[in-house]
Amino acid sequence: MLIPFFIHIIPAHFLAKPYPILYLCKMQLASNLLENAVNEFAKLPGIGKKTALRLVLHLLKQDTAEVSHFGETITKMRTDIQFCNRCGNVSDAAICTICANPLRNQRLICVVENIRDVIAIENTQQFSGTYHVLGGIISPLDGVGPEQLNIESLTNRIQTEETEELIFALNPNIQGDTTIYYIQKKIQQLPCKITTIARGIAFGGELEYADELTLARSLTNRLPVGSYISNR
Amino acid sequence: MLFFRQLMLTQFRNYVFDSFTFTQNVVGISGANGSGKTNLLDAIHYLCFTKSYFSRPDAQNVHQGMQGFRLQATVTRQQQDFELLCILRENNRKEFLIDGDAYKKFSSHIGRFPCVMIAPDDVELISNGSEERRKFIDTLLSQLNEDYLKNLIDYTKILQQRNSLLKAAAEHNRLDDALLDILDEQLSERATNIYNRRNDFMQEFIPAVQQEYESIAGKGDEVHINYYSQLHHNSMQRLLRENRPRDLYLQRTGAGIHKDDLEFSMQQQAFKNIASQGQRKSLLFALKLAEFNILKQYKGFAPVLLLDDIFEKLDAARMHNLLHKVCVQQQAQVFITDTHKERLESAFEQLGIGFELVKLE
Repeated sequence: MLIPFFIHIIPAHFLAKPYPILYLCKMQLASNLLENAVNEFAKLPGIGKKTALRLVLHLLKQDTAEVSHFGETITKMRTDIQFCNRCGNVSDAAICTICANPLRNQRLICVVENIRDVIAIENTQQFSGTYHVLGGIISPLDGVGPEQLNIESLTNRIQTEETEELIFALNPNIQGDTTIYYIQKKIQQLPCKITTIARGIAFGGELEYADELTLARSLTNRLPVGSYISNR
Repeated sequence: MLFFRQLMLTQFRNYVFDSFTFTQNVVGISGANGSGKTNLLDAIHYLCFTKSYFSRPDAQNVHQGMQGFRLQATVTRQQQDFELLCILRENNRKEFLIDGDAYKKFSSHIGRFPCVMIAPDDVELISNGSEERRKFIDTLLSQLNEDYLKNLIDYTKILQQRNSLLKAAAEHNRLDDALLDILDEQLSERATNIYNRRNDFMQEFIPAVQQEYESIAGKGDEVHINYYSQLHHNSMQRLLRENRPRDLYLQRTGAGIHKDDLEFSMQQQAFKNIASQGQRKSLLFALKLAEFNILKQYKGFAPVLLLDDIFEKLDAARMHNLLHKVCVQQQAQVFITDTHKERLESAFEQLGIGFELVKLE
């Protein structure tokens, strides 16, 4: 008869990891004012109760004037900020600095999902056209249809501004594709070139670790070596 | 072949911590009811499929009163060793690592370490609705072809979007035709890919199942299997176009590959209406063994076979046949559970092969 063979070795790193205890929920603070402030900070993304407390205690140590200034800056940011009438980007005036810049190619529009994408593309310092911020992508599942997005203003823009090229810089997923096809269908009669950013192997990436879909796509949409070298 | 050499379970189901080492191709697991026989098989399934066989949420697999679990195994696949690790963190986040590298997408693990499980409730595959059969075919095809799984995931997502749009259209009494057109186009592309793949596969799979059935049940009752799909006669695009008024009325998509089915019949009648218990079980084994054979053929090595409580379902002669087929001919690692240790022992001794027994308390 065979005897079952048991080894009772519990991996140390598994046991050493303490379970999160929910003590923070029961944080006892001497002041309600303090607690309210902590709760407000903890609503911010990436900030837990402990970090919130540290930030609040830091503010408590500072001059009253300085904290007032801090508060005012935040309030002013929220109340005074505008969205560009033309492209939907954040702006201090009715038209944002990108749209107002005469050095930028006004007949080139890059369509992005949100303001963060504008910042990302601006940081490349490679794009000298203008933007159009959709404010989301089409996803009926999340209750977002075309009418919730700045699509009408985009079609108007293309008509009135005699746009030469529309570049889609949306996330490469199904909803991104849905949005691209939808807009493309809306404007297909207009004499405007429509392109999308390249998809494929990331710069500095390794082929071995790329997923098959990306690799396959890179092979299908391969580039002439001449243009590849000149673009580096 | 795929071979599990060591398995460690921490806070998984009824295990607080246990470690098992396997040295033989045939592993019998015995123990009383509730001793964790099925859980041990499910742990192996977890490591092959990143999820439970019994489609329950991950959190339900944690040992009562504890948080998180950890499953770890050393497996050998064609002379190469791999370390598989599945961790459910305390916050219910699941991680899956192979040789210390975490997967970004769990779907890329599917198919690398194939296994086939046969559990008592699987007869539902034959008697229940078509969803079970689609799931069975999808699970198998996903292991053979990564592209299929990708198409299937996309199809499900787009279908959800389309149904949401149909619902929203009914609520607001206004429909964006252009958007529905786009979704139909996206859906059709995936549906066609999936249909072609399923159709090709059935040419090979259906004869394989029939052959297995014959060898288990004998030549007498011939079972007929038909792959049903609305796409046999119409393209997906046309189906969606023709069904649009109906879909708008019902607020869901009524046609497509999500209505496909495998129809079993015997003597021109539906199998589930006239088949005996024994015939159902024989068909179930035929389906699963055909799955096993196809996996072996495509992968070039034998998958792990998990047999849960099957002694209850077969007479001694059929059992011997089945065990001989999978343990001796196929050279696969087989895990078999039973409540009676003696029954396992005598069955294995008859086969005259090396085996080991794990007794659970």
